[in-house]
Amino acid sequence: MSVIRTSIARCAVPLLLAALGCGKNPQAQFQWRDSTTELIPNASKAVQKTIVDHFGTPDELVAWDKLPVHYSRVTGTLAEAGASAEQFRIAWDPGFAPAELPKNNQLLWLSGANAASQQNVVNVDAAGLVTLEAPPNIWAPGDRVAVNFGDRMQLGRVVYMKNCHHCHGVAGDGNGPTAKFLTPKPRDYRLGYFKFTSTNSMTIKPTRDDLRSVIKYGIPGTYMPSFLLMKDEEVTAVIEYVRWLAMRGEMEKRLDDELTADYSLASIDASVKKAKDSGEKGASKSQLLKQANDDLKQYLAEDYPTTVNDTAEMVAESWTSADDPANVVTPSVPRVADTAESRARGRMIYLSDKAKCYTCHGPHGRGDGAATEDFWPKPGSQEKYANRGLHDFWGNPLSPRDLTKGQYRGGRRPIDLFRRVHAGIKGTPMPAFGGTVLKDEDIWDVVNYVMSLPFEAQSPSKAPAKALATTAQVEQ
Amino acid sequence: MGRFWAIFFMFSAFLAVALFVVAPDNGWWFPEDGRAHTSLGQKIDDLFYLILVITGVTFVGVQIALGYVLWRGAAAGQDPQAKSQFTHGSHTLEVIWTIVPSGILLFIALYQMDVWAHYRVRTMFPKKMEAVAEVTARQFEWRIRYPAHGKKLMPTPQPDDIYTVNDLHVPAGHPVSISLRSDDVQHSFFVPLLRVKQDAVPGLVIPVWFEVNDVGSYELTCAELCGWGHYKMKARVVAESDEDFEAWKSKTAKEQFDDGFKAETKEE
Repeated sequence: MSVIRTSIARCAVPLLLAALGCGKNPQAQFQWRDSTTELIPNASKAVQKTIVDHFGTPDELVAWDKLPVHYSRVTGTLAEAGASAEQFRIAWDPGFAPAELPKNNQLLWLSGANAASQQNVVNVDAAGLVTLEAPPNIWAPGDRVAVNFGDRMQLGRVVYMKNCHHCHGVAGDGNGPTAKFLTPKPRDYRLGYFKFTSTNSMTIKPTRDDLRSVIKYGIPGTYMPSFLLMKDEEVTAVIEYVRWLAMRGEMEKRLDDELTADYSLASIDASVKKAKDSGEKGASKSQLLKQANDDLKQYLAEDYPTTVNDTAEMVAESWTSADDPANVVTPSVPRVADTAESRARGRMIYLSDKAKCYTCHGPHGRGDGAATEDFWPKPGSQEKYANRGLHDFWGNPLSPRDLTKGQYRGGRRPIDLFRRVHAGIKGTPMPAFGGTVLKDEDIWDVVNYVMSLPFEAQSPSKAPAKALATTAQVEQ
Repeated sequence: MGRFWAIFFMFSAFLAVALFVVAPDNGWWFPEDGRAHTSLGQKIDDLFYLILVITGVTFVGVQIALGYVLWRGAAAGQDPQAKSQFTHGSHTLEVIWTIVPSGILLFIALYQMDVWAHYRVRTMFPKKMEAVAEVTARQFEWRIRYPAHGKKLMPTPQPDDIYTVNDLHVPAGHPVSISLRSDDVQHSFFVPLLRVKQDAVPGLVIPVWFEVNDVGSYELTCAELCGWGHYKMKARVVAESDEDFEAWKSKTAKEQFDDGFKAETKEE
């Protein structure tokens, strides 16, 4: 009797601990896109291998030097030798000087004869003097180094998993555990689009400052909160991690796009159907699959490495171009004075055939334009969406903004509204009017009109000039 | 054996009293340095201490009586031949130990009335109160709307209002009030160091007043379970001098009406 009781008790404690959640943490995993898992097995494995080789897993990140990501907090260029063979003077990259480093650092040579080798560091100071444990083999001025390589990415990963992944998902797919309760859905970074950017319409990607504003101030009207109280270093780190997740997702998507036409399960099924319809003999599913696998083997050996390389370069270039200040939308004229005349001009443009704002945003700015009743085609195909109205590039239904509410998701500053009109909102049907359709002065008139809409006392058809003049008097 | 239990229970009572005595100095009682940073907050803290003393004295008295009874009972229990004493209750005792606690409670209820009224009854709010901002609680952040420099806070948004998120600035040294609203569900505006707490109820606009004595940054947390993000619904309340407050407001207004035009690009 007592023997049974003891053994149950001995089992009960670990069981209880397991029930309480103590024990090994489940491993976080990057979910694969449907387009990856729906490729034929060999193609799917090839894509997965490429992505894991170049990006790693959440617990073992891989830093790919092709990508414009700041993996470390402290990087610099070798300037000259120091007092001894183990000492160097390093010119730290702007914004990357060591403030506080943990003990037991390592220095990683990023370029030059020692590239990819690590050495132990005895001391690093903010002025740039680095003392190593042992003198390196060969070095030359101009060699790039990083101290404590990857620490920014690791911090970013920790911050992201703590604060962001429950909505945005481990891989940034916008499908975390909380996402099913949210409308609008959290951003899926893997498409490579971010809506609220300061960059022009030709530059798809946002700047780091755009991401910083979103993190610091949130997006009003959505569940993206403001992380104003987060430490600056953590915000910087999570920005790099999110950019990296977006690059990873976009790489996976583009590789899938390359392979889907010929090497997906859907394409095999389509070929089978086509063969059956045309009465071709000897074209069973297994034969077509074998044919596809043979073609794939040749493709993977010959063309695939170049494809991976070119895709990575394209993704990297799209992010680097966002860092170019010339690609940021800056008005060429200061804001036109916010008078009743300017607002009247803005209203005329709003209702004109040039801009056609009213087709989506409605004649009174309430977001009830005729476009919300139409059936629109899916991007890049003839097929139409099942439900009426506009959709974003992620396939979610998207209502045009009700401008009378005074709630602006991308920021409420005049420059923010200017940028929305000038460059459009990437990933949505909001078009870009800047540089082509509307001059900057016209855009300012539209901005003045839009900013007056929440304060319009009655509908504009009733004595509009009078209503606008009253609100103009409220301002200084 | 009985004596052991008598000592055991008395020891735990003694330990409880000892912990309460050392708690304030060890920072286990009120947060941070233990001082409230508003004058009303200090009055609330005084009430806490008053109740602590009253209940403490009662506790010690009752525990001593319990200890005596336990000890005597333990001693008497040793002798199996000893006679028990039966009692049918004592009316006098019942009356005493109903009237005395009621009296104490009545005293506490009346004593705290003016602090409560000063905090909650609108006719007893300070006469000179600056309406600083409208604070709207929403899942899971605090959206704050200030009137423009030199203007009064209006119940509806004005074209020149200044908006921030999770960042409430107030002038220190004189009474200020905020209008508390909610966009969706119930939240609660809780600034522990200022001893301010008020539920935000959807559909109501509730005035909350306080007078911060010390310049500094205080944590504002949500104190009414509002959903999956309730635990991280934090903001900061920054109390600063009048000049700093006006300077901050002007700076934020300038940033908010930034048109992004840079004079250098004029050359293009």
